[in-house]
Amino acid sequence: MHIPDGFLSTPVWAALDAVSIPAIGLLANRARAEIDEARIPLLGVMGAFVFAAQMINFPVGLGTSGHLVGGALLACLLGPGAAALVMTAILAIQALVFQDGGILALGANLMNMAVAGVIAGYLPYHWLGKTRYRRAGIFAGAFLSLLVSASLALTELLLSGVRMPGPVLGVSAGLFVVSALLEGAITVSVVSAIERLHPSWIGNPVPLRSTAFVLLGVGAVLLGGIGFVFASQSPDGLQSLAERVGIAGQANAIVAGPLADYQMHGLASPVLRRAAAGLAGVLGIWIACLALGRMISRRRAA
Amino acid sequence: MHHVVLERWSRRASGLHARDARVKLAATLVVLLLIGTTVPSHPLAFAAEFVLLMAALLVSRLPIAGALMRAGAVLPFSAIFALVSWLAGDPAKAAALVIRGYMSALAVLLLVSTTPLPDLLRALSWFHVPRLIILITQFLYRYLFVLSEQAQHMRLAAASRAGGRRAGSGLASRFRAAAGALSVLFARSYARADGIHRAMIARGFSGEFPASALNPVRLMDFLFLGLTISAAVLIRTAA
Repeated sequence: MHIPDGFLSTPVWAALDAVSIPAIGLLANRARAEIDEARIPLLGVMGAFVFAAQMINFPVGLGTSGHLVGGALLACLLGPGAAALVMTAILAIQALVFQDGGILALGANLMNMAVAGVIAGYLPYHWLGKTRYRRAGIFAGAFLSLLVSASLALTELLLSGVRMPGPVLGVSAGLFVVSALLEGAITVSVVSAIERLHPSWIGNPVPLRSTAFVLLGVGAVLLGGIGFVFASQSPDGLQSLAERVGIAGQANAIVAGPLADYQMHGLASPVLRRAAAGLAGVLGIWIACLALGRMISRRRAA
Repeated sequence: MHHVVLERWSRRASGLHARDARVKLAATLVVLLLIGTTVPSHPLAFAAEFVLLMAALLVSRLPIAGALMRAGAVLPFSAIFALVSWLAGDPAKAAALVIRGYMSALAVLLLVSTTPLPDLLRALSWFHVPRLIILITQFLYRYLFVLSEQAQHMRLAAASRAGGRRAGSGLASRFRAAAGALSVLFARSYARADGIHRAMIARGFSGEFPASALNPVRLMDFLFLGLTISAAVLIRTAA
């Protein structure tokens, strides 16, 4: 589920851009030092493979068919760090070339699929991959990966004030579970087929060298969640949620930064203020990425 | 196929094609921000934004109907949520979702169909997007054409062997056959990646694609960016 532009409210997309774009940048800068140069073409080709794989239909009965989404498969094949980078490239190409997913919403889609989706897809495999429940681990990973991505996307839409009555939510939750089960079945059967072809391609899970990555992911998800609550002051879905949870009062008290209410004072029209704040947000994100990159490369050089 | 058409469109020539990729990227972000922050209660602002996009489309000399149709790829997704919003008693929000989604897609379509992707990636790397991500995206885009063609060939071959239509073949066996096809596609992709790397080493790959230097930003590019920003500010203040 790729969220297009125009669906998320400014606080939501800005908060998610601010969290996930630097997180991916940090990961890329880390990986650059660790990754074997020979693997770079492989990573690109694997991304193209996931695209092409969507052309092969899996029959599900009743005349319908589904296809591989691929987040968990990439995580099992390449490891979580590399899989997140490949997913980033896939999402970038989908947003740019296929208009599937927005540009301002890229941070949200990265969070849902490249960060949370990959981590959810990898962890069960990581824990169960060496036991006799290996296949169950792969299945659970693919199932969770899709479910986590889809429910995050739904949450973000709800927080942006896209109204969804209870029954609609129920139906979409049901559809998510069905497609997650299908993704699990496809991933397990593709992994077994690949293992029959060439056993060494799918190695056992390596010990997580980068616990930092897991921490980063968990932290990013938490930050993203907190980001929603603190950033949005508009009376939309977010507000009512915050009121229901009872933290609205505290949030209002805490947020008093220059971008509070996503408005900049000193500009006349309220709409203009919101736009200027949005632009400042984008600039801020860009500068943060730049600074983070500089800092990391400098530390590596030293 | 969609990406082949876009690739061809991006190699044409027009006033919009000639603009610097960095400037077009910045202008697209401005337009996306403008569209994304337009509130449902301002239908005139939406109209003005659409006029702005149409003007850019005319300057780009792309097939107008074709471009408008291709941007419609976002509509099924928007329509579902718009319908739900509408049923939930918020018709203004529903309309805004459809209009904002469509116009944002059109803006991005205008960017990629007037800028060849390598130029766009070079512009992104000028904006300090990490090199590794740029490299992976470059490889992905190159082999996207090759691998999707290969997948189509495999699908055609399977169909001509009557795969999946055989009487008596159960769902489970057809499912396994599809998994087998995917694993073969995977094996071919893997071998291809290996071959690519050897060929690159043989040609002296140093870890960097030879990138032609970005041309300096010209006066026309600044004028274009200035024009876009002032149009955006004008629409925002007037509406």
